[in-house]
Amino acid sequence: MIRILARYSILFILTLLVLTILSFALAYLFPGDVLENLTGITPQNDMQREALMRQYRLDQNVVVQFVHYLGDLASGDWGYSFSSGLSLREEIGIAMPATIELSFYAILMALLIGIPLGYYAGIRSYSVSDKSINALSVTTYSIPVYWFALILILIFSLNLDIAPISGRISLLFDIPPVSGFILIDIMMTENIDKGLAMRDAFSHLALPTFAVGAITTASVVRLIRRSVIDVKNRPYITAARSRGLSGWRIFSQHVIRNALLPILPLMAIQITTLITNAMIVETLFSWPGIGNWLIQAIYQRDYPALRVGMLAVSTLVISLTILIDLFNRIIDPSREKYERATV
Amino acid sequence: MPMLDIKNLTLEMVSGDTSIKALDKVNLSVSSGEIRALVGESGSGKSLIVSAICGALPPQWQLTADRMSWNGENLLGLSNQQRREVMRREIAVVFQNPQASLDPSATLGEQLEESIPDEFVRGRWFWQRAQHRKKIAISTVHKVGIKHHRHYLSAYPHQIPSDIGQKFMIAMALVSQPSLLIADDPTRGMEPTTKTQILKLFTRLNQTRSLSILFVSHDLLAIASMSHSMTVLYAGQTVESGKMKHLKKRPLHPYTKALLDSAPSFRKDLAPKSLLPTLEGSIPTLQHLPIGCRLGPRCPRAQRPCVVTPEVRRIHDHTYSCHFPLHMEKL
Repeated sequence: MIRILARYSILFILTLLVLTILSFALAYLFPGDVLENLTGITPQNDMQREALMRQYRLDQNVVVQFVHYLGDLASGDWGYSFSSGLSLREEIGIAMPATIELSFYAILMALLIGIPLGYYAGIRSYSVSDKSINALSVTTYSIPVYWFALILILIFSLNLDIAPISGRISLLFDIPPVSGFILIDIMMTENIDKGLAMRDAFSHLALPTFAVGAITTASVVRLIRRSVIDVKNRPYITAARSRGLSGWRIFSQHVIRNALLPILPLMAIQITTLITNAMIVETLFSWPGIGNWLIQAIYQRDYPALRVGMLAVSTLVISLTILIDLFNRIIDPSREKYERATV
Repeated sequence: MPMLDIKNLTLEMVSGDTSIKALDKVNLSVSSGEIRALVGESGSGKSLIVSAICGALPPQWQLTADRMSWNGENLLGLSNQQRREVMRREIAVVFQNPQASLDPSATLGEQLEESIPDEFVRGRWFWQRAQHRKKIAISTVHKVGIKHHRHYLSAYPHQIPSDIGQKFMIAMALVSQPSLLIADDPTRGMEPTTKTQILKLFTRLNQTRSLSILFVSHDLLAIASMSHSMTVLYAGQTVESGKMKHLKKRPLHPYTKALLDSAPSFRKDLAPKSLLPTLEGSIPTLQHLPIGCRLGPRCPRAQRPCVVTPEVRRIHDHTYSCHFPLHMEKL
């Protein structure tokens, strides 16, 4: 167990290291001045420039610069945005939780709807209900997310007028960002009508969550259905049936776990797609998340923001992926055989 | 009266507009307290018969039989629930490949305890029942000759050697105290000492508990020493069936004779370094089955009438299907 944890921590740290090297390299690769790309501060005169060069060790060799850069990252000094002049750490601190919140609800939706639906379709494979579930999920999966989100806006916001077009919460509510998660922040804010604010937040959440979640749900349904059908044809299910076990018992004891094990790593891959989708949807709904923020940064050629934003998003993706993989490693007993010799 | 009685079992695999008779009018019966051997080359349909008996065939295959009864009950007419009840308590199956037939994500102990019928478990509260379950599991494991129960009951299927896996399959089959055990090639790939252990275990169970066994194998040597009667299968047709000693002494079907001749241990008169007599060719694939007697193209005695499927003929309790059986010329 400790060995597994150590193994995964090393993997995590090494991957982060590669990412920071990449992000550091971006300061050199982006057009313009390295100093400006790295700090986000435009020096006013040569003296200030000299001082900054010394402060960021830019007068020494690349390795020293990088080590200093690592130290800066760790201590929270991520540079300043070109466009707003604010500390990037604070900006990301506000934008990142919004994205995490949106992705979390989308994952929740995918798990709560996708897993039961996938199991149902797999158990009733090739029946009418399975075929309709499958057709629906293939259709949803094939729709591009930006188009899907626009259709949702068209129907629910413009035609039916039951959900707001954009934003996170009505501007009438003054919610200071504490945790960054809107629902938690509402609970922590004093002097507002919490019920009303909650309802407003939920109505703002509904469409973007549905847009991101539907596609993830569709892929989860397809993965689980395929896996259940595979497991159903395995000899050990036949053997269990020949021992006279009941259908429910076979399903609960032998199908659920065995169907879930092979697709957990595939779900980890879905995380990348999910966050990409979330970033696209954020732009469409003007959701103040990291995707929206990065797109603005691209428009304004805000190189320090791009450099740190890339690092932040990829760190999120990698942490989630490694966590899921670790979880899978811990619950799947047969993974051990690839690490040790078998009898 | 036989416990398991199968007459004219036919299995048709329909794919597209072609249909293949994988099993063609197979007859098989197992009386209570006997060990019946089911013998045939690989691909002759032995495992299909086993699957047909325990109802594990894909639903798109058509299974028909004049009679397929278990203690007088028609197996084909039972509802799923009744069929399951029969499989749970009365018939137990040991499948060919133990590693594949065990759930890879559950420990062997969990799987064994799961097969214990609830009626056997005493105790009022769930912890007492769990304890008793565990006790039954351990004693069953000891019975099949696994000594280190502590180690193996908490092991996963990929952690155990295949002979232990096979013994576990047998333990799982025996734990419900069935009256018929179907063993589908249980000694495949085992080393001789383990094989002997397993065979001895079967013989002992047969003698002490009067457990009937349908022993499916192509290991003639193992079969000859333990089974009372034998059914020979070739390409999905029953070729010959009868008491072991009659078949061994005087096979009536050319295929049975070829089968026995090809096993060196049955030939005391075989000269050193001489070739073993074998039939020309190999068993036909399912797509190219000959009409009539399926042995036809390979049979040394085949003549024109062999393109018609031979009727089952009977001499006492010895049945065979051949137009030109071996005893004809001696008469």
